[in-house]
Amino acid sequence: MFHRVLVANRGEIALRILRACREMGIDTVAVHSKADENAKYLDLADDRICIGPASSAQSYLSIPGIISAAEVTDVDAIHPGYGFLAENAEFARTCREHGIAFIGPDAETMSRLGDKATARELAMESKVPTVPGSEGLIEDEKQALEIAEKIGYPVLIKATAGGGGRGMRVAHTKMTLVNAYHQARTEAEQAFGEAGVYLEKYLERPRHVEVQIVADNHGNVIHVGERECSVQRRHQKLVEEAPSPALTDSMRRAMGRAAVKMAKAAKYSGAGTVEFLVAGKNFYFIEVNCRIQVEHPVSEMISGLDLVREQIRVAADEKLSVDQRGVKLKGHAIEVRINAEDPARDFRPSPGTITAYNAPGGPGVRVDSHVYAGYKVPPNYDSLLAKLIVHAPTRDIALDRLARALDEYVIEGVKTTIPIHQEIVRNAFFRRGDYDTGFLDEFFSV
Amino acid sequence: MDVRELKKIVEIMNQNDLTEIEIEEEGKRLRLKKAGATVTQTVVAAPAPVAMPAAPVPAAAAAGEPAAAAAIEPGHHTITAPMVGTFYRSPSPESDPYVHSGDKVKSESVVCILEAMKVMNEIKAECNGEIVKVCVENGEAVEYGQPLFIVKSA
Repeated sequence: MFHRVLVANRGEIALRILRACREMGIDTVAVHSKADENAKYLDLADDRICIGPASSAQSYLSIPGIISAAEVTDVDAIHPGYGFLAENAEFARTCREHGIAFIGPDAETMSRLGDKATARELAMESKVPTVPGSEGLIEDEKQALEIAEKIGYPVLIKATAGGGGRGMRVAHTKMTLVNAYHQARTEAEQAFGEAGVYLEKYLERPRHVEVQIVADNHGNVIHVGERECSVQRRHQKLVEEAPSPALTDSMRRAMGRAAVKMAKAAKYSGAGTVEFLVAGKNFYFIEVNCRIQVEHPVSEMISGLDLVREQIRVAADEKLSVDQRGVKLKGHAIEVRINAEDPARDFRPSPGTITAYNAPGGPGVRVDSHVYAGYKVPPNYDSLLAKLIVHAPTRDIALDRLARALDEYVIEGVKTTIPIHQEIVRNAFFRRGDYDTGFLDEFFSV
Repeated sequence: MDVRELKKIVEIMNQNDLTEIEIEEEGKRLRLKKAGATVTQTVVAAPAPVAMPAAPVPAAAAAGEPAAAAAIEPGHHTITAPMVGTFYRSPSPESDPYVHSGDKVKSESVVCILEAMKVMNEIKAECNGEIVKVCVENGEAVEYGQPLFIVKSA
């Protein structure tokens, strides 16, 4: 097992990793920028080191800064958390070249799965259903039109290097397809320096359901059930729950098997997520996220597993602590993301000082958060303040518990997404589990 | 300085989420510090230090700027580490240190080496003056923004 792990992240996920290491008896080094130097979670690390100014490009995204910090503090592994360098194959490779273990899949696997076109090819080879569309990248306009004709409109053009909705266009007719093809290429070129696009059938209002997997270096892969993440605003998830109210047992089993098959085909190691779109009784692979995800606590609550702990174990070449039969899913969990954003003003970021803070508690309530009264929310990073997760024997009780916990939650000094969650949890459609990725748009339009 | 200029400065502070700003020109020094919603304004003649007894806000460094060393004397300047690394006073273990206390430096003078990722980075003084203090021991790890030398400005 590792002796000393460097946490190359900030905020709640840095704290989450520090906690796992502490429980495992591993020493920790927390790196931070100047903007985070007064954050209290840093005191929970055995050692802390400032790696740069507030700008993430010069701190949390600086590979030389982080590797140098790892060397002067003599760590044997780096945990990248999520975001920042978590899915940067170059970073994983640099860690390896410096004799430091990267807690995540190796650089080659990450490059292969991180590229949407090659990931899709891998899914096809593994007989995992994908959204009907092009095999690989589109060569030209003519090919785009041919494929669209074959699979039927509407179609979606997606950048292979894309993310967060950029380099993505929907076309309903031949005419709009030609424009959309060129727009998506230009946008992708500008945003990612890579103009390659592919084409697939556009599913109207699908559900977004993902499967949590963990794999070790000894050929063992488990899945820890699915998470329903359809409550999204501009491709940003706001609410996640497990199990998904939309799946039948046979779909659930089939998706779990598909996710494991993908992981095995990619020789995956570490924690990851296989994302699917669900439309009716069909599910289609969309992508693999090679990292621990923001919403991992949902799966932890229903399985009793500590996913960060498993992640660290397998990176240290140990075997998974359970096999598939040992994964017993129990009850229902829901997570809401509390962001420093103003829902009344188009979710504008709301940095500032938290003047009062009181987190909810009681049965089945978990709060993963690095904030406290007096904490200054810096304007330089994402606005996630806290994740509130509830667990209960049934979905109905979980919803009541969530409503209760949200009402207890006090955060003053900055605007937060708590009010919007209070409305969502009381929404009749949401309570019935009758929602898809179009839910929030509709919700805000009324 | 008139009220309009003050207003503009406060606006800049708000836009950039600064809690504190200090401006010095022609023997006048202005320091603004925010405490919650209230803004305290003090205008004094330099170089008298400004005491701010009513402000409970911790004096955090402005975002993006390396923090200066704690309370250094006027006319003194701190050379801080521009990166994380290992601090070396000389180009090799056998050679003499680049600088000692009492040495005169120019902005182009190399004062030390910071080793990061097996690369030896020469650090320049970037100010003119005399070294009055070496803050770090040879071979010690330093973090970003850590004071390395104190220089008395020429």
